[in-house]
Amino acid sequence: MRLRLDGQFDRSSFLGRTLAASGAVALAGFAAGSGRSAAAGPSEEQNIRILNFLLRLEYAQVALYDGGVSAGALRGELREFAEVCGDQDRKHVDSLRAIVGDKAQAQPSFRFGDAVRNPARFTAAALTLEETASAAYIGQAANLTKDRLSDIAGIVAVDARHAAWIRAIAGRNPAPHAADPAKTVRQVMRTLARTKFVEQA
Amino acid sequence: MSSKPEIADALTIAEIDRDGALLEAVANLYGSSRADFLRGAAFASAAVALGLALPSEASASPKQDVGILQFDLAFEYLQSTFYTQAVRDRTVARMKPEKQRWAHVLGTHELAHVAILKDVLGKNATKKPFFNFHGVTESEEAFTKTAVAMEDLTVALLAGQAPRFSNPALTSAVFSLLTTEARHAAWARRLSGARPVAAAFDEPKTLKQVSRVVQSTRFIAARPQTGRRGKPRYTG
Amino acid sequence: MLRRRRRLAAAVVGITALIVAALVLGGSHGTPRAPAADQDPAALLPDPVAPAFKPTLRPADFTTPASRWAPVVRPAEATRVPGGRAPIARLATSTPEGTANMVLLQPGVRVVHGRMWVRVRLPVLPNNTTGWVRRDVLGGYGEVRTRLVVDRRLLTARLLRDGREIFRARVGVGAPRWPTPSGDFYIRNKLTTFDDAFYGPVAFGTSARSAVLTDWPAGGFIGIHGTNRPDLLPGRVSHGCIRMANDDILRLARLMPVGTPVTIH
Repeated sequence: MRLRLDGQFDRSSFLGRTLAASGAVALAGFAAGSGRSAAAGPSEEQNIRILNFLLRLEYAQVALYDGGVSAGALRGELREFAEVCGDQDRKHVDSLRAIVGDKAQAQPSFRFGDAVRNPARFTAAALTLEETASAAYIGQAANLTKDRLSDIAGIVAVDARHAAWIRAIAGRNPAPHAADPAKTVRQVMRTLARTKFVEQA
Repeated sequence: MSSKPEIADALTIAEIDRDGALLEAVANLYGSSRADFLRGAAFASAAVALGLALPSEASASPKQDVGILQFDLAFEYLQSTFYTQAVRDRTVARMKPEKQRWAHVLGTHELAHVAILKDVLGKNATKKPFFNFHGVTESEEAFTKTAVAMEDLTVALLAGQAPRFSNPALTSAVFSLLTTEARHAAWARRLSGARPVAAAFDEPKTLKQVSRVVQSTRFIAARPQTGRRGKPRYTG
Repeated sequence: MLRRRRRLAAAVVGITALIVAALVLGGSHGTPRAPAADQDPAALLPDPVAPAFKPTLRPADFTTPASRWAPVVRPAEATRVPGGRAPIARLATSTPEGTANMVLLQPGVRVVHGRMWVRVRLPVLPNNTTGWVRRDVLGGYGEVRTRLVVDRRLLTARLLRDGREIFRARVGVGAPRWPTPSGDFYIRNKLTTFDDAFYGPVAFGTSARSAVLTDWPAGGFIGIHGTNRPDLLPGRVSHGCIRMANDDILRLARLMPVGTPVTIH
């Protein structure tokens, strides 16, 4: 079902129609089996949880890129990518931590194994992390309050640029979709777990 | 960021695209300086430079949502026509294969964006403007530089607008467009020899700022009058 | 030994911090959870809001060939070669009918002394003349997917869109004394709401000109229009214009935009 905005709209009928539309699609679409609705409503408290979740992905990117640069095995454009994106993602981390304040999640421990030493595995790891982060941001965007969303829109765009860049380096289509898909939190955590990059306690 | 224009003009630095590439590319084709171009000195008539209409609603509401989407549609028309014309001008056919793929993919995406926004807006859909690209689509170099600037501008537009919708389903949908356009921008930059991502944060622009930049390019033109009421004098 | 103790101490501090964080974050969930280095946020976070729309890719239709036209926005000279000196035609910004003058674009772009020139089909005598003009004398490009093909032998006019026929009619063409010229032309303008049954309800002006009626007012342009003498159709009956029944011209007017290229065999 797709939203239509072609009628004469008065506030009540428009809202009724759109909530019905988005509600129906939300139930039919994502979150199979989770039972949670998207209608929990944005709040400062939820912002913090969401931003901490996104922060985790930025931490992973910084750690991978820093690791790649220090391991010294990256050359040429791949090395430039790691240096530039490492710096930029570090600024993203700083920004997200500043927004969340003293509730900011601490950096987890990562271990990348030969993903930092082997250029092909580094590329694959970077691609996974960037694509996952992008899909995570898209997934949570509408769950944030408007001011937080404004705060992070500029970060989301840059992460998408990173994704396109690493895809281009890998010889893949940098923009595979006319509109990038979202991922649920569950899907993101599963992807992250499969990489085994995050050290368990 | 952008270099300062050497003129006292209504357009401020913030309202000119980030590195002036759009203006540079267009002005060069007229053998004009950017300052002269901004003053409209390159143009024969005193025709009003057209921008994109701004929504009348000032606060978040379903009505404003429609206004923002109408603006987005007009802007997508600008982008899709820009790529379509470059294909028709055979400018794309002269590019190396990797760059051709880029132009075709981006054009296909922008056409898809036009189609979906037209569909969502229905009879509220913006009419397609008439465009004059002043030869930019006919020169590979000008086209590439302008594409880079235009994609960066699209990112700034969507970064500014995606957070403003009153309907969260629209927020979701437009955020997907934001990341897609950011990929376009990075790809274009890389192909033009520039770094795919210039800064850690993409700065948002307001609709007014975007409209002023578009206006300054004079890409939107008045539709020529090719029909009239009146008695024919053809040979019969 | 010392290093391991320090590491243990650090781990304890870290875990304590996580316990505190869990207590703070998990407020409404009652008992603090056992903290893990990556606590499962999936239990605490909402699902994505489904997007209001999703674009679908369709095969790009901008690769199918199309014809383009452009208005003349300032008085201009067309030359035989790009950047040439001697003009082969002078172009005004309006037609004798008061509409925007226009040219049909042909393949060809050149940059001469830093200025872009484009090749165009011209509404001048001799018929079928093409030349070069500066890009900046033209406005924006209009695009059409249609083409009109007129057969003077079979006395038919056919309209094609993307190569497929969507309209056909029998026509009257120029009498032997005032032949309809052959070659490649384009629809230059469209006139309506006039009270002259001779031309029917709608009249299109083309870029073609009578080679014999050179003194005809308003340039002697060949038109495509209706008629008050449908009994003469099909036939070689006109002063050069292409005439069709009024029903047909009305149908054509709904299908054929100005700028459509016209081929006359």
